[in-house]
Amino acid sequence: MAGADQYLIERADVSRLKSDELLRLARVLRIPLAKRAIQRSWLLDEVMLEFNRRGTGKGPVAKLQSPAIQIQGLEKRFGSKVAVRNLDLNVDPGEIVGIVGPNGAGKTTTLRILTGIIKPTLGTVKVNGYNMSSEAIKAKRCIGYIPEKPTCYPSLTVREYIMFMARIYNVPTEIALIRMREFVDMFQLDELLDTYIGTLSKGNLQRVLLVGIFVRPPPYVLAFDEPIYGLDPRGAWNLKALMKKLRNDGSAILMSTHMLGVASELCSRFVIMNEGEVVGRGTLEALLEYNKDARNLEEVFLGLTGGIPR
Amino acid sequence: MNPLKSSMYVMFKNETRMLYNQFKQTVRTPSMLLFYGITLFGIFFVSTVVSSMLALTPLIAETASLLESTIDRSTLFAAFAFLSATSVIGGYFGSGIASGLTVIQEIVLLPAPVLPYKVFLSSYLRRIVRKTVFALIGLIVILPLLTDASLLYYSTSLMIVCLIIFLETNYFLGAVSSYIRFVVERRTRSRWRYVVPFFLGVLFLLPALPEFTSAFTFAYLVPSNAFAFLFTEMTGLFSLDIGFLIGFVLQVIVFAIAVLLTANLCSYDYYELFSIVKGRETTEGNFSRIIRGEVDFSETRFQDPMVWIMLKDFYSRLRTPMQIWKYVYAVVGTITVLYLNLVHPAWFRPIQVPHDLAFAIVPAFLLMMILLVQMSSVTSMLSFVDEKENVYLLKASPFSSGDIVLAKFLLSLFEVGIAVIPACGFLVYILRIEGYLALLALAAPMTILFTAIGVAIGAYVPVLTNDPRTLPVPLAFSYPVIDLSLGALMIFIVTILAGNQGVLIALPLYTIGFTLIFLWFGAKALNTYK
Repeated sequence: MAGADQYLIERADVSRLKSDELLRLARVLRIPLAKRAIQRSWLLDEVMLEFNRRGTGKGPVAKLQSPAIQIQGLEKRFGSKVAVRNLDLNVDPGEIVGIVGPNGAGKTTTLRILTGIIKPTLGTVKVNGYNMSSEAIKAKRCIGYIPEKPTCYPSLTVREYIMFMARIYNVPTEIALIRMREFVDMFQLDELLDTYIGTLSKGNLQRVLLVGIFVRPPPYVLAFDEPIYGLDPRGAWNLKALMKKLRNDGSAILMSTHMLGVASELCSRFVIMNEGEVVGRGTLEALLEYNKDARNLEEVFLGLTGGIPR
Repeated sequence: MNPLKSSMYVMFKNETRMLYNQFKQTVRTPSMLLFYGITLFGIFFVSTVVSSMLALTPLIAETASLLESTIDRSTLFAAFAFLSATSVIGGYFGSGIASGLTVIQEIVLLPAPVLPYKVFLSSYLRRIVRKTVFALIGLIVILPLLTDASLLYYSTSLMIVCLIIFLETNYFLGAVSSYIRFVVERRTRSRWRYVVPFFLGVLFLLPALPEFTSAFTFAYLVPSNAFAFLFTEMTGLFSLDIGFLIGFVLQVIVFAIAVLLTANLCSYDYYELFSIVKGRETTEGNFSRIIRGEVDFSETRFQDPMVWIMLKDFYSRLRTPMQIWKYVYAVVGTITVLYLNLVHPAWFRPIQVPHDLAFAIVPAFLLMMILLVQMSSVTSMLSFVDEKENVYLLKASPFSSGDIVLAKFLLSLFEVGIAVIPACGFLVYILRIEGYLALLALAAPMTILFTAIGVAIGAYVPVLTNDPRTLPVPLAFSYPVIDLSLGALMIFIVTILAGNQGVLIALPLYTIGFTLIFLWFGAKALNTYK
C-alpha cells in the first residue's frame, strides 16, 4: 500500500484549496506568515517549495501486491447455520470484482470477514498479502469499507470526521487537507463540511464515508457493500467514474450489489452466490458461455439462483 | 511518534470532541437549552423548597442511629458484596465489553487499523466523562438539600465519586466474568459449566464474612469491602477509626487493575460477539409485514387498529426473556404479597418503626409509593423506543396518531399495573400504617398518570434526536422529576381536600386531565417527527 510520502502532490491539487485551508496548510508546513497581506499565488509557491524541500510527493507510486484480496477456503458458521461455505476468491490490482446474489446469500458476511469485523470459522483472508487473522492491523491499514447501511458519528462535523479518519490511517495533515478538498469537490460536499453528520441524508452520509476512505493516498483495496444504493444520479455517476479511475490506477475493488446493471458496467469478473455457496463465477462472457439460455447478467443471475421466472 | 501510540491519542481526542460538540449543540438549540434549564433549575428549586420546609439534619442523624441499631457491620458489607456478586453473575451471561460497542464503531473503527483495547478505552473515556459531569450537575442542583442536611459538600462529592468508582469496578468485574464464560465455553460443553457463575458469585460474597471484615485485612482489596470500608469510615457508622483515605486508595487501585485487566482482555473476539448480538436483533418485525399487508387480519375478531398495535407489542415483547421474567415476577410477587398480607407469617414481620420516627412514617409511605409506582412505570417510556426504526413505519401507517398513542398507553398501563400490584402490596405489609387503604387508593391514579407521562416522553425521542432507539439522557432524567412533582401535587390536593366531598371530583379531574394532556402531547410528538 502507498506510504504517505509516495503520494504525488501537484500544484493543481494545492490550488484547489480554499483560502482558509491554504492558510492552514501553510501553518501545518510551518511556513512563516509574517506579512500583513499575503497573496494567494505567493502562498501557493511557498507551499510547493516547502513540499519540494521536504520531498513530500516524491518517490515511486506504491503498488498493491497481487492478488490484493485473497480468500481461500472461507467458511463462516453462525451456530448451526452456514453463512458462507468454501469460498475461494482473488481480486488483483486494477480489477473490480462483483459479488452478486439474493438476500441472505452471504455477500455481506464475506465483506465483513474481509474487513476484519468478524472472523472466519475456516479459511484464510489476506489483504495486500497480510493475513487478516494474524496481521489484522497491517491488513486493515490497506482496506476501505462502505457498509450497506451507512452510519457515522452524529456529533462530528463532516470536516472533523474526515480529519479523524486521516489521523486513524496515519495520513499526514498536509496530505489529508489536499485530498479532503479534492474529494469534497468531487462529491459536492463543500456546503456540508461544517455540518453535523447526524443531520445528513443517507446519500450525503455515504459520500462522507467515501471521502473518509479516499483521504488516504491510493492505491486502495476496497470492500463496497451496495455503494451506489442511496446516491442520487450525479453522485452515482461520480462514484462509478471514480471507481473506474481507481481500477485503472491499480486499486482492487470487491463490490457487493443487487444492481446488476451497475455490476455489468463496472465489474470485470463476477462471483454469484446463493445460500452461502458460489454458484457461478467468471467474466460476463464466460458466464454467458456457460449459461446458454441467458442473454445478460440478470438472466445468468436468475438462472443460477432459482431459475428465470417464465 | 509511533503511529499506533498516536492513534490512542487521536481516538481520545475524537471522543472528547464529540462530547464538546454535543454540549455546543445543546447550548445552541433553544428547545434543548430550555429543557435542560427547566429540569436543572426545577430540581434546584424543588430542593430549595424542600430544604426550607423540612429540617433534614435530625432525620439524617436519626437514620444513622437507626441503621446502627437495626443492622450490623457484616450486613452492610454483605449488601455491597451482593452488588458485586450480582454484577459478576449478570456479567457472566452478558456480552461483556462487546455490549459497549456501537453500530457506528462497527462501521468506522472495527475495520480500521485500531487495536480493540483502544476502541474500548476511548469509548470508556467518554462514558466516564459523561458520568462525572452528570454527577457534578446533580450535586450542584441538590446543593440546598445537602446544605440543609448539614452534609459536607466535598464529603458528599467524594462519596459519589467513590460510588461511581465502585459501580464501574463492578461493571469491569462483569466484563471479566463474561470473558471467563468465553474461555470456559471454548474448553468444555459440560453442563458443569453452568456452576461457574455461581462459584464466581460466591467468590465475591465470601470476603464480606465478619471473619474478614471485622478488622482491617487483605480482604479489603475486594471492591465491595473497599467501598463498604470507605462508607463506614466516612459516615462514622461501624467505623474502625482507621480513616477513609486507605479505602479510597484501595478502591482506586482495584479500579485501575480492573480497567487494565479488561483492556487486556479486549480482542477481536469481542467484535465477533458484538456482530452476533447485533445480528440477532431484527429491525423489521412482524409489524412491518402488517403494514405491507403480508399479514392477513381479515379473519381476526379484532377490527380495531389499536388492538392490532397492542397485540403486536405484546407478542413482540414476549419474545424477550426479560418480559417472561417480568410476568413471572408479577404472578409470583402477587401471590407472595397476598400470602404475606393474609397470613402474616412469623418468619417475616413488618418493620417496627421506632417511636422517634413515627411522625415520618406516613410521608415515608407516600414517598415510597410514588417511587415504586414511578419505577414500575419506567417501561411505559420505552413503548415507543422499543419500536426502534419501526417507529417511522408506525407513524407512516394508516392509523391516527391518537390511536397509536392510546394503544401504547393501554398496553403500558397493563404492564405497569401488574408490576405495581406486588410492589404496593409489599409496601403495605412492610410499612403497616393506619389508614393505608385510603393512601393505597392513590396508587391507581398515579399509575394511570405516570404511564401517560412515560408514553408522552417516549414519543418525543424521535422528535429530539435522530436515533429513535436511544432515550436521550435529559428526557430520561425529566421523567422522575415530572412524576415526583405531579405525584406530590396529587397528594397535596388530596390532603387539602381530605374529609371533603370535593376530593371525589378533584382527584379524578386531576388524574384524567393530566393523563389526557400528556397523551395529547404524545400524539402531537408523533405528528412532528423529523
